[in-house]
Amino acid sequence: MTDHHEALSGAPAPEGASGAPAPLPAAAPNRRGIVGEYVFASVCAALGLYAIIGAGFIRVPPGSASVLGPRFFPYFVGAILLVASVVVIIDIARGHRGQPDEGEDVDVNAKTDWRTVLLLMLCFLSLVVLIELAGWPFAAAVLFGGAAITLGAKRWWVALLIGLGLGLVTQLVFGVWLGLSLPAGPLLNWIPIFNG
Amino acid sequence: MDSLNALLEGFATALQPQYLLYAFFGVFIGTAVGVLPGIGPAMTVALLLPLTYTLDATGALILFAGIYYGAMYGGSTTSILLNTPGESASIVTALEGHKMAKAGRGAAALATAAIGSFVAGTVATVLLTFLAPTLAQLAVQLGPADYFALIVVAFLTVGALLGSSVSRGMTSLGLGLLLGLVGTEVLSGQQRYTFGVPALADGIDVVLIAVGLFAIGESLYVASRMRHGPVQVIPVTRGWRNYLSGKDLRRSWKPWLRGTAIGFPIGTIPAGGADVATFLSYATERRLARGPAKAEFGRGAIEGVAGPESANNAAAAGVLVPLLTLGLPTTATAAIIISAFQSYGIRPGPLLFENQPELVWALIASLYIGNVLLIVLNLPLVGMWAKVLQIPRPYLYAGILAFAGLGAYALRFNIVDILILLVIGVVGFLMRRYGYPVAPMVVGGILGPMAEEQLRKAMAISQGDILYLVHSPFAIFAYSALAVIIATGLWLKRRKAKIEASPKLVPTSAISAIEEPKGRR
Repeated sequence: MTDHHEALSGAPAPEGASGAPAPLPAAAPNRRGIVGEYVFASVCAALGLYAIIGAGFIRVPPGSASVLGPRFFPYFVGAILLVASVVVIIDIARGHRGQPDEGEDVDVNAKTDWRTVLLLMLCFLSLVVLIELAGWPFAAAVLFGGAAITLGAKRWWVALLIGLGLGLVTQLVFGVWLGLSLPAGPLLNWIPIFNG
Repeated sequence: MDSLNALLEGFATALQPQYLLYAFFGVFIGTAVGVLPGIGPAMTVALLLPLTYTLDATGALILFAGIYYGAMYGGSTTSILLNTPGESASIVTALEGHKMAKAGRGAAALATAAIGSFVAGTVATVLLTFLAPTLAQLAVQLGPADYFALIVVAFLTVGALLGSSVSRGMTSLGLGLLLGLVGTEVLSGQQRYTFGVPALADGIDVVLIAVGLFAIGESLYVASRMRHGPVQVIPVTRGWRNYLSGKDLRRSWKPWLRGTAIGFPIGTIPAGGADVATFLSYATERRLARGPAKAEFGRGAIEGVAGPESANNAAAAGVLVPLLTLGLPTTATAAIIISAFQSYGIRPGPLLFENQPELVWALIASLYIGNVLLIVLNLPLVGMWAKVLQIPRPYLYAGILAFAGLGAYALRFNIVDILILLVIGVVGFLMRRYGYPVAPMVVGGILGPMAEEQLRKAMAISQGDILYLVHSPFAIFAYSALAVIIATGLWLKRRKAKIEASPKLVPTSAISAIEEPKGRR
């Protein structure tokens, strides 16, 4: 079944794609992604509601003389967000769907490839661990190499080498030359130039 | 004459070798990054911010001005030479410029864009030089209620006019305002929405919002539906003779000036920024076209590149007027520039011209210098920019992610910032996926705290009388202008959508048929 659809749309079916039949590219903006659209708008509405409820819990220091306390503006912001996203939900229900962004490298008719998105997020998250553990140059190499490979770089070792080069060059420019305190990491700290 | 003297002093500062080098470097790197596909001016400015972190204030602002102008210019090269439809900011240039490039006249299109940018940028900077000090003097007299009115105008126009629908724009704005609330509230010292996380107590830096939305969000979005296959860049025929011929020049100079006249005023008011200006200029040029030029529209008319490109750069300078005189950002790029100012403890606003004249005038002088550098750099380097366009996409977006991570970490050297960046990036990805504009969120993030401050000041003065907000003629004027701007803006957007929806290759008679219904209104 899935094979059949793959052949039809000509695009690889991403892992975890919904069971809905893959529409032909020409008929792109029909019901595809409508659930996600509702969910996103609802999350925005929930955030608005949270802002309003949360505003009630902001402590107002006793005896403060100011007319508008720290709560007023949060109430206001929450209301804007709540009203606007409820209107979006109504819009979607009435058939006014959002137009996905266009861009030079974007194929608007392609299906959303969630697997790539998740892998890229993982690559980026690796920074959190690696920057302080291994130092910026290596963290950058892992992020750059991982992201490039995920996005379809032809040779994985080239991607990693470019990443390492980028990491070292940025370390030299930003850490050594411009004086930002980027951690060089235990592997490079013994080299005097990196140990600024 | 005062401003002329001050300007000359500004030149004396900006022409020092060290600052000249910064300006040169800024223009170069701004163009280089701006040329990269998928990277608009806002992302360029946000990604290159770390370069300025360790410079002194004057040097940083000069470098920044160069990056800003370079980034504004870089986009046009992309849309002319790349064989795919571009982002909305430069889509108008692509309409005609792309056709010209396909017809082998890419060099002429690039040249008219470059010279038009120079002419428009210079004229608009002259206007800025004389307008800004006067405006600043007037603005000194504005009270908190007036400021609040101005900020509300900026809010609502940005929220309502950017993006495909008003409700989605306002949702985006609301998200930005919410992020702006996070942190320790200034007057009472209370923490709001921080969940007790120490890193959140200082608030969420606007740079994080911008880099997250533009760099991370855009990369994830492109990754989710990447255009595969080889990158097709239209080759540019080399040689000086292929640049502007006398005939091209005769056809270009009027659109350059008209584009400037349209772009600068639109840049100064919060009406959606350069996007609206380029579209208006394109529509004007097409209506004014006569004879053979009229037949060429839709197939690569040089007027359709010259006008919008000038409008684009004039608007870029126009945006600096409210930014420098009122401290009001009207575009996402302007919001990032303001946050860069703030990181040096500089508050853009009417007092800037009084308190730090050397700085402002050095900045304005560097805008003139940047313009000259742009044209000197860009005419000879076109071939190099065309090569930049061919960067394999996996490496391009991997690089964007790496620089975004660097920028976020270098803000405070705190790992938490990288997590915040990723969360905002995912929001940015979903917003693109579901058709929300991201710019209002950036503007909301920086304007929110400013709005609250002015509102509370106003209420403190009036002791809670809400009518105080509309007591001054200026505030009343601002609110009525708001209604007019939004009404006109929505009308313009509808027209723009109509023109963009019309098939690209229709004969020009069909296009003029679309133009006709306007008469009925």
